[in-house]
Amino acid sequence: MYINTKRDVRSVEEIDMINKEVCSTGIRELDFQMSGGIPLGSTVLVTGCSGSGKTTLCMQYLFNGAQNDDHGVFFTITEPLFKLTKNLEGFSFYDKKLIESGMVNIIDLRIISERLGLDAEKYTVEDAGALLDILKDIADELNVKRLVIDSITALCYRLQSREMIRDFIFKLGTSLAAMNCTTLLTSEVPPQTYKFSQYEIEEFISDGIIFLGDIERRGDLIRTLQVVKMRGIAHSRAKFAMNISAERGLELVPLLKTSDVESLLRR
Amino acid sequence: MIGESFIDTGVDKKESFINTGIEKLNRLLEGGIPNGFTTIILGSPGSGTEILVKQIAAVGNVVYITTEETKDEIIDTMKRFNWDLSKIDFVDISSKYYSNVLEGEERRVCIYEQRSKLKLKELIELGSSPGMLSTVISEEDYLAILSNKIKDVSYGEILIINSLDFFLSQYRQEDVLKTIYAAKVGNLKNKGALIIVMTKGVHGELFERKMEALADCVLELDVIQKGSSFERYLSVKKMRNYAKKIGIARYVIDDSGFVLEMIERIM
Amino acid sequence: MMVDAIIEGIKDRVAVAIKVNQSVGIQVPENRHTDLLETLFNFMLSNPNDTWAFVTASDTYDHISKTFKEVSEHTNIKFIDCISRAAGISEFHDNCIYIESPTMLEIAGLEIMNTFQGVEDEVDKYIVIDSLSALMIYNDSEIIREFVSILMSRARSQNIHIISILMEEEVDSNKLIQMNDKIVVLRDSFIE
Repeated sequence: MYINTKRDVRSVEEIDMINKEVCSTGIRELDFQMSGGIPLGSTVLVTGCSGSGKTTLCMQYLFNGAQNDDHGVFFTITEPLFKLTKNLEGFSFYDKKLIESGMVNIIDLRIISERLGLDAEKYTVEDAGALLDILKDIADELNVKRLVIDSITALCYRLQSREMIRDFIFKLGTSLAAMNCTTLLTSEVPPQTYKFSQYEIEEFISDGIIFLGDIERRGDLIRTLQVVKMRGIAHSRAKFAMNISAERGLELVPLLKTSDVESLLRR
Repeated sequence: MIGESFIDTGVDKKESFINTGIEKLNRLLEGGIPNGFTTIILGSPGSGTEILVKQIAAVGNVVYITTEETKDEIIDTMKRFNWDLSKIDFVDISSKYYSNVLEGEERRVCIYEQRSKLKLKELIELGSSPGMLSTVISEEDYLAILSNKIKDVSYGEILIINSLDFFLSQYRQEDVLKTIYAAKVGNLKNKGALIIVMTKGVHGELFERKMEALADCVLELDVIQKGSSFERYLSVKKMRNYAKKIGIARYVIDDSGFVLEMIERIM
Repeated sequence: MMVDAIIEGIKDRVAVAIKVNQSVGIQVPENRHTDLLETLFNFMLSNPNDTWAFVTASDTYDHISKTFKEVSEHTNIKFIDCISRAAGISEFHDNCIYIESPTMLEIAGLEIMNTFQGVEDEVDKYIVIDSLSALMIYNDSEIIREFVSILMSRARSQNIHIISILMEEEVDSNKLIQMNDKIVVLRDSFIE
């Protein structure tokens, strides 16, 4: 039965592959689930609790893209640069040369916002506008095709209302889409919750959601990845078991069906 | 003996008062403000509290903390009334605040300047180099300035705060209350006069009650419309240990300042 | 002398079975398990050009490498240890991949298949699961069945031989062993 479902999806995928331009994540199984990649210009929420592999996924996406001549930028709000680059060492997808040559840019957004006087605890509408402008300008200046903000949760914290969050993500998404830039926004949620975003608004404005969760099996937590939503393409919603290899980064493999039955019974 | 010593700590035995500078107000208060008293002046808009406090300030030996008007504005007004300025120590929070606000505005203006292409490159470089965040320019802590000034007041001095509205707009009510309570205790020791101006009816009934409870003396300035004209009333709402002093007076403001016209004693 | 004869016998039977068949189930009594391992390792060492993924859930890699030293030095044999981490052993060896828990079958499967990445088509490739009985201690038999079935079809598609070891004492194992192309049953005193 499982194989049949996959076949159905695949046939649609094949049609889509012809019609749609996609941005390959470079994570084979993930691309396969999404007709070859994320539809070009989408804004996708990468959701999970801390330690679920969001940052690794985004980095893999940027470096794999850079191998194929896509310029990329990673805006960090949570982790300092030295820590980020240190964590990258050891991954086979990480290539220092891609950073040195400017194919992949890792930027501490906090330093930039501070320099711009955007150091208030809460942003005014003007502050948010200025930040949006600078993000767009940097994306434009670096001619990026792939952009990551890690995390949008930390950024949303500074926006004062749901309307501002909605407005910010919407404007960011549309202007980056206009540049054909595909964006990943990481979203932090508490562990063991089936919730995609802190403010429950990010998920509605984004074009896609990739959910990094886990399932329990005999007391062990098995990491999972699920493409919950991806506008514009037919995609599998199957949960995949995920491995974070210290060398190869994220790897996916279909979750054994029996475990699904187990988890359903438990719920 | 025990009774006597008890009374001693409550009110100065010799019943010394601080002159308000307004003869009829002194009479209404039967001598002036008792030493060590904390006075709240609750004013409705248009009641002229800012003139009343300047007139009191003219008696000298005064520390005047101003938040609404700058020192220069106060000096101009007092000169107009021919009041003595020589013995006033001004603490100009108003100017400080405005210059900080302006600085903030300037920094914001810089955002647009820095977004020119050349600056953008510098900005990207800045954000890409792993380094520590430079220290954030902290906002001035006005409540701390107030607390420090309160500690500096010397024996028998009058401390005027015009007005508490500013602090209440910047800090939590509990924090402001704590500071004022500390000021009250300090003033009691100094046997001076602490005079706090606050706009009536804007900080919530509960907060007003708390302030009235904290104060030894509460003066209320009201403007009442009578037909086509306005009448102003000054009422002594509370006078700790001096129940008989509660009273009400109509007043006008002419070129000599406050003129109390009709005095009604309620008790 | 009797024992040696038995080992020799196992060797021949097993060697022939795994060369000829795509999937082989070997049922062995508990007290002959080590003999079987020795046989398999000898086979591996005598075919140094083959690539092997050896999944262990009954013995820790550390124990195996101490018992069969030559095997642990062989670079064409990748060990996938499902038991050490769960047992709280945090050792690390270059030749071994440690799976967090024997319940994480998908990850084990992933690592098994990763072993053969980049290995040329002509090279003979083998997977050994030692043992299904051990995995069944930590998992329901249903999920093991699914795991083996998926692993078998993947192995088949890449022309990889798969050898599953099963303890004779394991009663539930009947269905499992039936999934194989060939079943070899080893007895304590004679070879069937």
